[in-house]
Amino acid sequence: MVDAATTHAIEYTINGERQQATVPARRLLVHHIRDTLGMKGTHIGCDTGSCGACSVIVDGRLVKSCMMLAAQADGTAIETVEGLAPDGALTPLQQAFNEQHGLQCGYCTPGLLMAASFLLRRNPNPSEAEIRRAIRGNICRCTGYVNIVRSIEAAAGPAASERAA
Amino acid sequence: MTTTAPPQTETWKGQSIRRTEDRRLLQGQGEFTDDVWMHRQGYAHFVRSPLGHARIRSIDTSRAARLEGVYAILTGDEVREMCPTPFFQIAPEPGGRIAEYPLAVDKVRYHGDAVAVVLAETRELARDAAGLVDVDYEPLPAVVDTVAAADPEAPLLHEQVGSNVVWKGDFDWGDVDWALENADHVVKIDRLHFHRFSSTPLECNAAVVHWDPGTDTVKVQSNNQMPMFASMVIGPTLGVASNRLTFSSQDIGGAFGIKIGSYPQIAALALLSRKAGRPAKWTEYRTDHMLSAGHGNERVFLDTEVAVLKDGTILGFKTRAFDDAGAYLHYEPLGAVIWSQVCCGCYKLRHIHVDYTETVTNKCPTIPNRGYSRLQHLWFLERVVDVVARELGFDPVALRKQNYVQPSDYPYETPNGCVYDSGDLPRSLDMALELIDAPKWRERQRELGRGSGKRIGIGIGSTLDSGTNNFGQARIINPNLPFSGNGEAAFVKLDLYGEINVNLGTTPQGQGHETTAAQVVADVLGTSPDAVHVTAGFNQQQNTYVAFSGTYASQFAVTGLGAAQGAAERLRAEIAEVAAFALQAPIDEIEIRDGNCFVRDDPERAIPFIGVANLIYSNNAVLTPELRERISLNCRYVYTPPFQVPDPETKTGNLTLTYASQIHACVVELDEHTGEVKILDYAALDDCGTRINPQLVEGQVHGATALGIGAALYEAFEYDESGLLQQASFYDYHAITALDTPDIKVGDIESPSPFTPNGAKGMGEGGGAPLHAVCSAIQDALSPDDAIVSDSHNPWERVWRLMRSGEHGEPRGVTVASRSDAAGSDATA
Amino acid sequence: MLLESVEYARPDTVEQALTLLSQREGAAPLAGGQSLVNVLKHRVASVELLVDISRIDELRRIEARSDGGLEIGACVTYDELDGSDAVRASHPLLADVAGHIEDQQIRDRGTIGGNCCLSDPTNNLPPLLVALDATMNIRSRSGGVRQVAAEDFFHGYFSTAVGEGELLCSITVPPLPSPGGAGYSTVSLGADSKALARAAALVRGNGVIEDARVVLACFSAAPMRHHGMEAALRGAPATAEAVAAAAAGIGDGLDPPGDVHASTDYRRALAPVVARRAVCQAIGNGGDERG
Repeated sequence: MVDAATTHAIEYTINGERQQATVPARRLLVHHIRDTLGMKGTHIGCDTGSCGACSVIVDGRLVKSCMMLAAQADGTAIETVEGLAPDGALTPLQQAFNEQHGLQCGYCTPGLLMAASFLLRRNPNPSEAEIRRAIRGNICRCTGYVNIVRSIEAAAGPAASERAA
Repeated sequence: MTTTAPPQTETWKGQSIRRTEDRRLLQGQGEFTDDVWMHRQGYAHFVRSPLGHARIRSIDTSRAARLEGVYAILTGDEVREMCPTPFFQIAPEPGGRIAEYPLAVDKVRYHGDAVAVVLAETRELARDAAGLVDVDYEPLPAVVDTVAAADPEAPLLHEQVGSNVVWKGDFDWGDVDWALENADHVVKIDRLHFHRFSSTPLECNAAVVHWDPGTDTVKVQSNNQMPMFASMVIGPTLGVASNRLTFSSQDIGGAFGIKIGSYPQIAALALLSRKAGRPAKWTEYRTDHMLSAGHGNERVFLDTEVAVLKDGTILGFKTRAFDDAGAYLHYEPLGAVIWSQVCCGCYKLRHIHVDYTETVTNKCPTIPNRGYSRLQHLWFLERVVDVVARELGFDPVALRKQNYVQPSDYPYETPNGCVYDSGDLPRSLDMALELIDAPKWRERQRELGRGSGKRIGIGIGSTLDSGTNNFGQARIINPNLPFSGNGEAAFVKLDLYGEINVNLGTTPQGQGHETTAAQVVADVLGTSPDAVHVTAGFNQQQNTYVAFSGTYASQFAVTGLGAAQGAAERLRAEIAEVAAFALQAPIDEIEIRDGNCFVRDDPERAIPFIGVANLIYSNNAVLTPELRERISLNCRYVYTPPFQVPDPETKTGNLTLTYASQIHACVVELDEHTGEVKILDYAALDDCGTRINPQLVEGQVHGATALGIGAALYEAFEYDESGLLQQASFYDYHAITALDTPDIKVGDIESPSPFTPNGAKGMGEGGGAPLHAVCSAIQDALSPDDAIVSDSHNPWERVWRLMRSGEHGEPRGVTVASRSDAAGSDATA
Repeated sequence: MLLESVEYARPDTVEQALTLLSQREGAAPLAGGQSLVNVLKHRVASVELLVDISRIDELRRIEARSDGGLEIGACVTYDELDGSDAVRASHPLLADVAGHIEDQQIRDRGTIGGNCCLSDPTNNLPPLLVALDATMNIRSRSGGVRQVAAEDFFHGYFSTAVGEGELLCSITVPPLPSPGGAGYSTVSLGADSKALARAAALVRGNGVIEDARVVLACFSAAPMRHHGMEAALRGAPATAEAVAAAAAGIGDGLDPPGDVHASTDYRRALAPVVARRAVCQAIGNGGDERG
């Protein structure tokens, strides 16, 4: 992609699956995921990169897919909410959100699950303060964050290890 | 046959069972409106006014129309030609003369007013084309303050109304003049201001609208939360009969009242679809949402006078209220009466006079926002009580308890005829204070000396969450409106193989209706909620609706679940009849549990639901003609609360069925140097009667609390003098984050409502308690000579100024007049 | 949300990037994009060609220099600064400040170079880099590296010393003075959010302040050193009282902008507060309250 162009052929993996596409340079990654791939779990809640509803993991880093061009995804590995539990069973994190009532309308939820997944990979046993910092970029208007924090706490650390045992 | 039902004494109602909605939402399989896709759809983009007030000289769409991929463009002039009539107005004359169309005609009246809409092949093209629509504006002077707008000399928004005052009324109950004359103290408060904000649901408005030329019907798939109201408003304007206009929705990403307000855009999309001959898909972006989706009401209270006896009894008050409806009346001026559901708040005030004025201004139209119209008034009352306590030297806790409606008073009739159903406010307050350990903080407050740079304050917010409106109160606004009562529909059926299915008339946005309806229906039909399938979302074609249908105004637990219970009871009766016939047993000996019907004391004689369904659906020759005709296993029920029509003359009546209460307590720390406010502790005590699912109730309490704290400290919509919105995105509108939100302690008591089918009360709005509690706590942290907290929004600079107001000798905004014979009392300021 | 039509290129080397940037008038470098993509979404500025420099290896390195300083590539992200052992070892405050920029998602993509080149007066890193006396290394197609002191780099809103066809490639941060330290203080709209007033400080000395740099941000279009306060600090004892005395009244001579979040008067009043707190943190004395 050394040459400038208004469309680019890109190749990437999404939830482990290889994809090829030709994208307009101006297309945001989130619109590519939603409109072109038809994957509806990644949401849009703002137009300033503030709300985090579109959070996905790209090459192991948590990013907002509305703050990245689809062309920039070339050569990357993308993970979305659909990839968390491909076999249909809920992951311990998703189960914790269900048990702790960590979601109401569910619109922010996919982004929060990605933020929490990223946190727990980096820090399997986070404190409440660390959890709150890790979800600072995800706005939720329903829960007051209380049960989201509880959900992540429940999915983390010793509690989760015990359950897995 | 095995039975797994709990013992007869246990119910699913009251249990915190896990939500059935969650699985799809956790896996990215929800169906929100932007996930809806129709063949041949185009993408719509609105062209919006960059000015607060201007005449439209001309609109030139030719550059936009030339862009390849543009399907159609509509402007206000064209819309006026297409519409037989402007939107129906709730307001009487003169406010009722406002002529609003789906797009602005001749003038724009606020920053963000829609002047044109484009339909194009892609989202990007639609926006490109919208940018090529050339609008020539002649700027006009704007008015952005409701009190100023009422001035006859103010710039006029709607010429045909003749002034900006769209509704005016006098609410006068008891005898406030007597109270002020006989009071020992009259506390006068110059001005209190409740600011504009919005709960800003994370999913913005969206709709896919198809005016199908083949059937000449209009299909609206949207996230509008009060679809039948939308239908009634836009149907006549579109010239479409209500049986040709259908709404549906599945998952809605939060609404909080704001999504009542998307009907003008839906109407514009219908016309755009008709013109283009294609479905029109619209997904509002955040900036458009902030500019034009609707803001909560802003209200100013001037010249308040409060009558107080020397023992602390508050007799009543009078005030002049000005409500700012924004540029058009969307659902307004209903806000001018809704507040009177809680005219005296939690208190036994008997003498009330409110001179109420509602105006239009060059700002985004308001729309009901969580706590609608009551939270403004409840905030006002809580400020009044705190100011009275401070000025007259009363303990704010004791003063509240003394004046609260007492547990022995229920049912308590307010001066305007509302009936408070149940509760225990003094105990709620005690419990809230216990949760924060108030004495510890009082001690800490005393220890903090000058020079620490910090101040601590403890605050209380007492609120009522009035639920299940009597729409008859609309007649207090406009006696000619043929509205009264309320209701909700539900449909419960046994399906072909004996499955239980429930349809609701509601539009849930996270409240867990699928789960709680299954709990209620499971109890009636003697089964497990897992065996009850509740259809997700709203679909008008399921015929499960009344004109009031939707999800708003804290009423699902009463109206929605009342309807589900009623329909399930009907179905149970039908099942029992079919079983009695099949088992050749008397109907009163039929027992129903776990999907089977038994003869009491003879469990070998049984028929499963599938057998019952078989008889009705596919084996009916074995039935008697009478049973065949009468029984369908498809049971619709409409729950209606027991309301009468209020009296518009005296402005009295029973305006709401239930009164949940929320008492909040809050501890703040102020930074003397910067005005920053930090919440050190926070507790919410909730009483919403019988709780169907306590965990979901607690979730609502958390959410309402965070939004209230956000509004009290961070979130505001403000306009400059020319009418430009200063916080039009999440850059400047700081939606409260996980870092700004404290951990919230929650306690509860259950005072069942005697008026509802299940003892539950509507809840969820929370009455804005955090606004009251945070303002109260800031007030508590200030010095006695500082000004009173007179604004509901207290960002750092405002707090910083308040902390300096005393030493700068600024007006405190309050005065006290005491009778000479009261001078000797302890209560003298 | 929807950008205007634009071209995109992703060069592999700085040379290729400079070629693209100098060939086209409407070309702009795209690093983390955490500000620029927003600008483009809202169509408030027009760019014809986005030159994506975010994957150029040589711009992504952090090098601990032998003198105790750092050489930081322009495309190092905030999260990488926060997590870098080298940065933590020599300039822990820089890591902390980077670790409190907005949120994890923004820290995962936003870059130190982007933070500087967008030069938004509310940005976190410019005042700190000025206080630390960093040097900005700018390259042009002609091959030369132009070194500009951070103090001279920021010209105003979205305007810096980087000229057309040039690229900020790295930032050199000198070692902290010994004895001495750095400090930073912000008043913001919400936690880790838009700044209303900010100060960064660098102090040399122990017990007595030998030298100090005090930089204010949000008070003008670019970070500004407050030479008056610096002079007052020189030779003063390293006590909270002395710092407070040096900070007193510094807002009076300022003419900060007023906006919906903070008026001019309020910002003036905040100037001595943030300046005092930053200096107190630098001298390891929290003064009368939280730093």
